[in-house]
Amino acid sequence: MSLAIHRNWTQFAWVRLLSVGGVLLVLSQLDGLLAGQNDFVKRLIILAGLYVVLAVSLNLINGITGQFSMGHAAFYMVGAYTAGYLASTQFTRLNLPLTLWMPLVMVAGAIAAAIAGLIVGLPSLRLRGDYLAIVTLGFGEILRIVANNSTELGKAFGLNVSPNFRSIGLTWGLAILCVACCRNLLKTSRGLQFLAVREDEIASAAMGVPVTRTKVLAFVVGSAFAGAAGAVLAHFEGFVSTAMFSMDVSFILVTMVVLGGTGSITGSVIAAVLLFYIPEAMRELPDTPMARILGAPIAIVALLRREQERFHGPARQKWARNLGIVLGCVVLAIALGAVLANLPGMNTMVQGSKLRMVVFAITLIALMLLRPQGILAHHELSWDWVQRLRGKPAPTHEVSA
Amino acid sequence: MTTLLELRDATIRFGGLVAVNKVCFEIHPGQLFGLIGPNGAGKTTCFNLITGVYRPTSGEIFFDGKGIGGTSPSVIAEKGIARTFQNIRLFKSLSVLENVVVGGCLRRPTGLFSALAYLPKAIQITDALRDEALRYLKIVHLDHVANVRSADLSYGMQRRLEIARAMATQPKLLLLDEPAAGMNPQEKGELNAMVRRIRDDHGMTVLLIEHDMRFVMTLCERIVVLDHGEEIAQGPPAEIREDPKVIAAYLGEAH
Repeated sequence: MSLAIHRNWTQFAWVRLLSVGGVLLVLSQLDGLLAGQNDFVKRLIILAGLYVVLAVSLNLINGITGQFSMGHAAFYMVGAYTAGYLASTQFTRLNLPLTLWMPLVMVAGAIAAAIAGLIVGLPSLRLRGDYLAIVTLGFGEILRIVANNSTELGKAFGLNVSPNFRSIGLTWGLAILCVACCRNLLKTSRGLQFLAVREDEIASAAMGVPVTRTKVLAFVVGSAFAGAAGAVLAHFEGFVSTAMFSMDVSFILVTMVVLGGTGSITGSVIAAVLLFYIPEAMRELPDTPMARILGAPIAIVALLRREQERFHGPARQKWARNLGIVLGCVVLAIALGAVLANLPGMNTMVQGSKLRMVVFAITLIALMLLRPQGILAHHELSWDWVQRLRGKPAPTHEVSA
Repeated sequence: MTTLLELRDATIRFGGLVAVNKVCFEIHPGQLFGLIGPNGAGKTTCFNLITGVYRPTSGEIFFDGKGIGGTSPSVIAEKGIARTFQNIRLFKSLSVLENVVVGGCLRRPTGLFSALAYLPKAIQITDALRDEALRYLKIVHLDHVANVRSADLSYGMQRRLEIARAMATQPKLLLLDEPAAGMNPQEKGELNAMVRRIRDDHGMTVLLIEHDMRFVMTLCERIVVLDHGEEIAQGPPAEIREDPKVIAAYLGEAH
């Protein structure tokens, strides 16, 4: 269910001003606080922030408005190239301080991506579901190939973005802004119109919801955030090239939205951080004998087949059952590994770093089978949710008249 | 007397099939108007013509004196026609209350920016719509389930929620497509009184499609009968009951 439209303490202007002020203060100090960390850790934190922006903004299009877009990387790219182009042509000429320059290029990237979003949004007036997915995918590829062949944009080499700017505060500030905007939208009647379009277009139109405009606006707002993220990326990496915006990026973003729970903002945030972090964390995987590598998938497939027999019971029992299945997988995998090790050639060691994507893929399959509705399903991590966990009843509405 | 809705030779063809053929009727403000006919007579297609889902092949539809044939559904909703659906089309994963709020949105639009920034104006509008929505839920006796997911309601409740959602747009004309389908006799009796109240207390004109003859005959003041897309009779219930053509086409089958 969506965020219910009842009010809690966030409705008061002073609460909001105070929280905005507090967030800005923390963000402005963040880079100073984390100055001691090594560059790799900072890099991970910044990229995770960008993925949060991308996943949450895609969730606005895919999850909240129900328009299946597979071309989100294209908007990211438009923002990055806009920033790259501006930096290479205008930065030295205008000679602005970086603290002023960054917001400007982010806005420019957002506007450029929003225009691209408008162009993609227009065919979505007529297309639904799979067809829209194909069109958005194609649009992304077209933009990528155009950039790849345009001398202005540096062909496959890309553009050098001269002033490097790496700020955790700025990146996560953008992420928080994106989350706040989506959450605000869902707290108002306007946001309900977006959800209504997802639920039933015909009924929405009959209730006077401007279906076309709502869909296009979702594309425009969603891609604007992706564009701003792209501008940050361009200045973070110091260069932009088409290789950074391949279809894989769009796919992983869709995976994040689905895995987090379609339509859930906090779910998208959690999934974005997790899915970005898991492959990075697995760079350190130990070398493993062949037997275990073969054993693990067999164990997982064997036990997850049981999960496919749908279980109808209390949620708590279901959790216990899923936990049991996971533990069973581990035990069976170790046992199978021990048995397989007796076969010839099975004791060959495989480099851990080569296993990264295999383990990632298996993790995704396991998660999707165990929890097809996504990590948070349609719920949100929110204050009201915390209240409910503490046993307080959900707020009810009284007629005021 | 003024006319609220007028169909003048409204016709729609799907390939070789004439689904609605030169149908003419006028609805006056404050009327309870019935549209009946056997299955496949073109009743729902008629609704779809009025609400802009289909564009008439020929003929014209006037609402409040202006032609609305071929106008888009959301614009027609803004002009003051709201409808319910034969195959219930609620916003399933939204709560009962949220469904009704969506209906009210068209009267109190919020700018996208003020919604994204959570400006006081957007909050006020949302709160006002929520309070209104609760009042509409009271009318259809659903205020006690305001926070339930609409898909979890019983069939009869879902039908009543559709009525509340349509009423929230504050239409001049309310179109009900088989509002009593799937209801038991007691629920039908309550619905009958409810529709009457909607007209009497809220001043909405009602056009309804219904298969239950007793329901239509006791509720409606004027009835149009369609058969195979053609209008075969029109008049007050007493006349319709006696009309030999209607008995042959429709009532004859039942008795």
